[in-house]
Amino acid sequence: MSALTLLADPNTAMVLLPEFTLVVGIVLMILVPNIGNGTFRLPIPNTNIRLPYLLGGERFALTSSPRVPGIIGVVTLLFSISLSLWSQASTPFTDYNVWCITTSGEAYSSCLGMTESTLLRVDGFSRLLEIVFYGALMLTGVATWSRVPATPRNLIHAEKLIGRHEDDRIQQLLDNRRQVDFHLLLLMVALGMSVVALAQDLFVLFVGLELASLAIYVLVAFMKEESAGPEAGMKYFIVGSVSSAIGLYGLSLLYLWNGSLEISSLAAGWAAMESNDPLALVGLAFVLVVIGFKVSAAPFHLATPDAYAGAPAPISGMLATASKAMGFVVLLRVLITITMPESGSAFWVGTIGIIAAVSMTWGNLGALSSDNPKRMLAYSSVAHAGYLLAAVAALGVNSSRGGDHDISQLIVAAMLFHLVVLVLFKLGAFLVITMLETEGRGSRIEDLYGLAKREPLIALAMIVFMLSLAGVPPLSGFLSKLLLVSGVVDASVHHTMTFEDGVIAAARSLHWVFWLALLVFLNSALSLFYYLRVGWVMFFEEPPTKRRMAYAPFLRIAIMCCLLGTVAFGIGPLADHLITLVSNAAEAFLQT
Amino acid sequence: MLVAWATPPSQRKEVHKFIRLLTFGFSLLLLAFTTLMFLESYSGISWMAIGLNNYAYDNCPDTELLKQGACSLVGGFGVSWHVGVDGLSFPMVWLTTLLVPVSMLVEWDAKKGAYFHSLLLIMEGALIGVFVSLDLFVFYVFWELALIPMFFLILLWGGPDRKYAAQKFFIYTFTASVVMLLGILVMYYFTYTPYWEGNLTGRSFDATVMTNNMLTSSAPFLGGFGMQKAVFLLLLLGFAAKMPSVPVHTWLPDAHVEAPTAGSMLLAGVMLKMGAYGFIRIAVTILPEATVHFQWLLIVLGMVSLVYGSLVCLGQTNLKRMVAYSSISHMGLIFLGVATMQPIGIAGAIFMMLAHGIISPHLFAVAGAFKHHYKTLEIGSMRGIAKFSPWLSGHMMTAWMGSLGLPLLAGFVAELAIMVAFWLAFGWWVILPALTLIITAAYYLWSIQRTIFEGGDEGELPESLGDEEPRDITWHENYGMFILAFFSVLLGILPFIFFDMMAGYADGFFGEAAHSLLEILNSLEVKP
Repeated sequence: MSALTLLADPNTAMVLLPEFTLVVGIVLMILVPNIGNGTFRLPIPNTNIRLPYLLGGERFALTSSPRVPGIIGVVTLLFSISLSLWSQASTPFTDYNVWCITTSGEAYSSCLGMTESTLLRVDGFSRLLEIVFYGALMLTGVATWSRVPATPRNLIHAEKLIGRHEDDRIQQLLDNRRQVDFHLLLLMVALGMSVVALAQDLFVLFVGLELASLAIYVLVAFMKEESAGPEAGMKYFIVGSVSSAIGLYGLSLLYLWNGSLEISSLAAGWAAMESNDPLALVGLAFVLVVIGFKVSAAPFHLATPDAYAGAPAPISGMLATASKAMGFVVLLRVLITITMPESGSAFWVGTIGIIAAVSMTWGNLGALSSDNPKRMLAYSSVAHAGYLLAAVAALGVNSSRGGDHDISQLIVAAMLFHLVVLVLFKLGAFLVITMLETEGRGSRIEDLYGLAKREPLIALAMIVFMLSLAGVPPLSGFLSKLLLVSGVVDASVHHTMTFEDGVIAAARSLHWVFWLALLVFLNSALSLFYYLRVGWVMFFEEPPTKRRMAYAPFLRIAIMCCLLGTVAFGIGPLADHLITLVSNAAEAFLQT
Repeated sequence: MLVAWATPPSQRKEVHKFIRLLTFGFSLLLLAFTTLMFLESYSGISWMAIGLNNYAYDNCPDTELLKQGACSLVGGFGVSWHVGVDGLSFPMVWLTTLLVPVSMLVEWDAKKGAYFHSLLLIMEGALIGVFVSLDLFVFYVFWELALIPMFFLILLWGGPDRKYAAQKFFIYTFTASVVMLLGILVMYYFTYTPYWEGNLTGRSFDATVMTNNMLTSSAPFLGGFGMQKAVFLLLLLGFAAKMPSVPVHTWLPDAHVEAPTAGSMLLAGVMLKMGAYGFIRIAVTILPEATVHFQWLLIVLGMVSLVYGSLVCLGQTNLKRMVAYSSISHMGLIFLGVATMQPIGIAGAIFMMLAHGIISPHLFAVAGAFKHHYKTLEIGSMRGIAKFSPWLSGHMMTAWMGSLGLPLLAGFVAELAIMVAFWLAFGWWVILPALTLIITAAYYLWSIQRTIFEGGDEGELPESLGDEEPRDITWHENYGMFILAFFSVLLGILPFIFFDMMAGYADGFFGEAAHSLLEILNSLEVKP
C-alpha cells in the first residue's frame, strides 16, 4: 500500500485531513525557507537560458526569515486541531462517526464485518487524543517562539553561547536552520502521535511511536549550547531506545504467537487462548516495558528526571503531557482492547497495581526532595502516571468481575479527562518555567523566588497550576482526581462489599484496588507540600532581580489561556461539557 | 482588587480610599438585604415554621427532581447548585453580613491598603456560600475558599510572628478539610440517583437528598451502622479542628494573636461557627444515630474544651491570647449543647453560635483598640485606664460581661439554654459545666479589675506607650463596637427574635427525625 493509494480514495483523504495537513506542513517547512531565486540552466547547447525554479540561490528575505518556520509549525498545528474539531462537531467524539481505513487505502464508514485488515481507525477516541496531542504541541511551539527565539539577540544569556557569524546574511540562514530543525521535529512528533492514536495494527502503532520518539530524542537534546541538554538527550535516547527495542522484541513474539499484529486479531486470539500461553505472556511483558518508559512509570522512569531537567522547558512540558498521553493510548490499546475481552481474568492487574503504587510513592518522595523545579515536575509526572495506572488496574478488576460497562466507561472517561486537563496545568507550569529560562534561569528553586513581585499575574498562574496539580477544588485537577478515585472505588466495591457487620469486616471484603484509591488520596495530600512550597517561595522570598521578565507576548497569552482553562474546567457548565465529551470518547473506545 | 493592582503607586492612596468606601458600602448593602429577608413583614417567610430538610429561598425544593438532575452544576458526577436557608443557617448569614461592615468600620483608620478590604469582601462571599449551600461539593468548595483570604489576611497584615501563625493555620485547617472531604466522599458514594443523561457516576452530592434518604429509605443508610459511625468520626475530626476543639485547637491562639483586628473579628465571629454549622448540618442531621452513639465523645470533647480553655485563660497575660482561649471554651459549650440531643439544647447551641459571634468580635475589637492606642496587649502592663480612655473601658466592660454570661446580655441566654438541656438529658451532672463557668467569670473579672480600675488616682501606663499621651478610641472604633454591644444587649433582652427560628429548626429536626431518634433514646433508657 502506498501513499498514493491512500490519496486515491477521496473518503480517505477527507477523513485523514488533519494528518494530511501535518504532512503538508512538513513539506512547506522544508521548502518555504529555501525559496529563492535559484535557477538552472537548460541543457540545450548554445543557449544561456536559465529557468528559475524558485528554490535555492539567494533566498528571499521574507520567506527565509528565521521567524517563518515557527509560524508555519504553529499554524499547521492550528489547522490540524481545527480540522479535528470540525470533523467531530456534529457528533462530539461519539462512535457514530467512525471510519476504518484498510490496507488497500479505502475508508469504510463502519468498522463492522471487515474482510480486509484495518490499519487505521478514526473515531471519537482517536480524535480526542489527537486534539490533546496537537494542543500540547501547539502550546509547545508557541512557547518555543520565545524559548528558542528566531533572532537570538533576544535571548539574553545565549548570546554568549551561540556562535555569531560576522556576516548577517549567513547568520540569518543559520538561525533559520535552527528554527526549521526544531519546528520540523515538532511536526514529526505530531504526525507520529497521530498515527499512534489512529492505529489499529500494532506494527503501525509502533512505527508511529518510533517516529514520535526519535523526534523527541532530538528535541530533548536540542539546547546543545548548555551541557545539560546533550546529557539529558543522551540519557533519554539510550534508555528510550533500549525500551523500544525490548518492546519491538515483544511485538515480534506476539506476531510469532498470533500470525498477525492487527489489534482485533490479537484480541480474538487472546480470547481464544485456553491457558496462558507463555509466548504471548512474555511478548506482552516486553511490550509493557516500552509502555512503562513512555508513561514514566516506576521503575522505568529513571531517565525521566534528568530528561525533563535538561530539555528546554516547553519540550519537558510536551513530554509530560503529550508523550504521556501517547503512552497511555498504547497502554489502553494493548492491555484493554487486546488482553481484556469481556469476561477475561486480567492477570496483569496485580503487576499494574504494584507499579501504580510504587510510581505514586516514588514520584511524590522524589519531588519532595527536589531542588530543581523541572525535576520536581518530572517526579510529579511520575506520580500522576501512578494515579492513572491505578485506574487501569481498576479497569482490569472490573472486567474480571463481570465487566460492568458503566464502570468501565467511567474509568476510561476519568483517564481521558485527566489527560486533557493535564495539558492545561502541567504544560502551563512548564510554560512559566520557560519564561524563566528565557533569561537563563529556571534550573533551581531559587529562581522562582519572589516571582510574585516581578510578575504577579504569572505567579498567580503558577500557583493555580500548582494547586490544580495537587488536586485542590474547585480547579480541574480536583475534578479529574475525583473522577479517577470514584471510578476505582466503584470498581473495587461493586457487588461484593458487605457492610452490615461493621467496619472491619467491610474493609476485609473490599478488593485490594480500593487501597490504591486511598493511596491516591493520601499521595495527593502529600504532594500538596511540594506544590505549595513553590507558591510560598514565589510570594514570600526576595527575587534575584527586580526587573520584569522578557516581554514574550505569545508566551504570556499561552499561560493565561492555560490558567483560564484550568479554572474553567473545574466546576460549572464547561466542566460538565468536557465530562460529556470524554465519556462519549470512552464509549467509542470501548466499542472496539 | 484588579483595579487596586492596576493603579500606579502615585495615585494609590486615593484609589485605595475609594475602594475602601466602595467595599464598605457594598457590605452594608448586603446587611440591609439580609435584614429585610429576616423581617417577616417584608419577606413573607415565617422562619419558625421551617423544619428539617425544608428551606427558605430554596432554588430546588423538590428532592425527587434533584435526584433526577435538576439544578445540576456539574451534571457529570452529581454536583448541583442548591442553595437555601433555614433556622440554622440564616442567623449565620445575617451574622456574617453584620460583621464584615462592622470590622471594616473598626479598622477604618488603620492604613491597610485596598487589598485588605477586597479580601474581606471575598471572605464574606465565601462564608455566605458555606452557610447557604446545600450541596456538599459546593459546600466544600466554599469552605476551602474561605481559608485563602484569611491566610493572606494573617500573612500580609499580621503581627510579628505572622508567617508561622499563617502557615500553622493553613496546614491545620487544610488537613482537617481533607479528612472532612473523605467523609463527604463516602457519603456521596452511597447517595444513588436514578440514571439521567450525562451522569457518569449515578450519584449526587446534595445534602437534602442524603437527608431524605436517611429519613425515608428502608435499606440501611450508608450501608449499615458501622459505616455511619466511621463517617461520623471523619466528619467530626474535620469539623472539630475548625471549631476548634481540644485537642486540635492549637492553631487558634497563634492565628488570633497574629491576625489583624478585622481578621480576628471575622475569624472568631464567623469562621469558627463554620465548623459548628457544618457539624450540625452535615454530621448531626444526616447521621443522627451515630451522633447519639457518640454522645459520650461529644460530651468529653465539650467538657475538656470548656475546662481546659478556661484554665489556660487564667494564666494568660496577652489579651488576645486570653480571648482566643475563651473562644475555645465557649465552642466547647456548643459541643455540649449538641450532645444533649434535646430540642432546647440544639437551639441553645445555635444561639450560642450567634451570641458568641457577636460578643467575640466585640472582645477582639477591644483588644485591637488596645493594640492601636496603647501599643501593647499585655494585661499586666497597665492600670486604671478608665481615667484615660473611658469609652474603651466601657466597651471592655460590656464585652467582658457579655462573654462571661451576664444576664441581659446575649451570652447568658445561650448558656442558660444549654444548661437546661444538659439538666434534661443528664440530670445533676450539670454541676460540672456550671462550675466551670465560674472560672470563666474569675479570669474576666480579674483582668477588668487590674486594667480598668486599679492604680489609684494616676493609673499606670504601659512602657510601650513611651511619651505619648494616652488616647481614647476613635469614633470609628466606637461606633463599630457600639453596634456590637447594641446587638449583644438586644439579643440578651429579646432573644426570641432569633431564638424562635432556632427553636423552630430544632423542633423540626426532632419532629421528623424522631421516628429513629426516639427509638434510640428509648432504647438507651432500657440499658442496664
